[in-house]
Amino acid sequence: MSADKALDGFGRYAGPATLILASLADGAKHGYALTKDIESFAGVRVAPGTLYEALARLQAQGLIEAVESHDRRRPYRLTEVGAATLQAQLDAQRRVADIGLRRLAQGWGLA
Amino acid sequence: MGGPQEQAKRLLRWYPRAWRARYGEEFTELLTADLAERPRSAARTADVIRGGIVARLTDAGLCGCMPQAPELARVHARAGLASLSCCAAVFLGVGGAIWSQLVIGWQWSAPGTAGTAVATFAMTGTILVLALLALLAALPVAWTVATRLARGPARRLAAASALFLAGLAVMIVGGRHFGNGWPGTGGHPWARTGLVPGGVAAFSWASTLSVSSFWAHPAALAAFPAAELTWMALSPIALACLVAGAATAVRRAELSPALLRFEGRLAAVACVTMAVFLGAGCAWLAGRTAPPGSLFHPGAIDVAGLAVMALALGVACQAARQSRRAPV
Repeated sequence: MSADKALDGFGRYAGPATLILASLADGAKHGYALTKDIESFAGVRVAPGTLYEALARLQAQGLIEAVESHDRRRPYRLTEVGAATLQAQLDAQRRVADIGLRRLAQGWGLA
Repeated sequence: MGGPQEQAKRLLRWYPRAWRARYGEEFTELLTADLAERPRSAARTADVIRGGIVARLTDAGLCGCMPQAPELARVHARAGLASLSCCAAVFLGVGGAIWSQLVIGWQWSAPGTAGTAVATFAMTGTILVLALLALLAALPVAWTVATRLARGPARRLAAASALFLAGLAVMIVGGRHFGNGWPGTGGHPWARTGLVPGGVAAFSWASTLSVSSFWAHPAALAAFPAAELTWMALSPIALACLVAGAATAVRRAELSPALLRFEGRLAAVACVTMAVFLGAGCAWLAGRTAPPGSLFHPGAIDVAGLAVMALALGVACQAARQSRRAPV
């Protein structure tokens, strides 16, 4: 599966999935640390049910993997496919942001 | 109410066993921390409940992303096939009741309208195709289960097989016993005008005796012989055992990728066939040309039955789609 198509089947979980991948980009984290990190950089609190649904899907797709741990809180880390998928996803979002900002500047005079 | 940990454990029960085994501990940790920070949150409770329902549907092979690992994909495909077999059983249980009513009516005299005759022909043809598909699907699975059991102990697979065989035995014995006692269904020399052999019609009628509008009329039901009442209550339980045993065996047997692909193709054909049966049933219902009191006259139980069949078909199609999409 190509990286830019990897999140196609995620539906309403594509948003949380992107946030999780972005959070894991700087290292492995467990569920609670993910929630706190996403809240700090995105201002969104991902609810526990949504977080684990997205984690299960990402793991099934091979985009993240669980790290061996003796702790009850199991950390997850990004795989190579996951990193490529995040790159493709963020590139697509940046293209949308660039176009939107350019049009706002042209049409509304907003920088 | 309890502390955060007790509340977290209660919420965890919304998730299926396999999910709890994999994620339960860490999810409880996260929930406990979240509950300690925000003791009351209806949105969180709703989110966990919704997540649990989605996890249960995924566990049943009815939704979710396709796992990329072949081992997990096979588990997903088997779960989808098991769900499909449950839906097909519900469909055939209700559809069989409607069909047997029509073919038993035909034992006495052919339907007076072309619409009812065509609908009954179509239902009979599709029942035949569905029976053939069920046989084609069951034989290789039964062979796989039998060879696995012959290799050595497999307690859970053996239990599922025993449940299936017990349900099947009760359905066959009960269906034969009560079918033979009903006039006009093959036990009489003048019952020769039917569309199908009288014994087949009688067996189908007796097997689906519990799908009856008499449940809504307790006074009429009280006049039934005790043995027949017992069978009406027992046969759905036996059918449930049969289906649960078959579905569990499908989930637990290590079906090969080739067999899974074959079963997936059969599942797709079965869905199309069930759709034709449902269409014929709806056409018969819409016609409403037979006079009240005739066996060809549809009643409220048939309307409800067709609605249940439509729902079962919808879920079966979803299960078949998921099962076929799995990269086994």
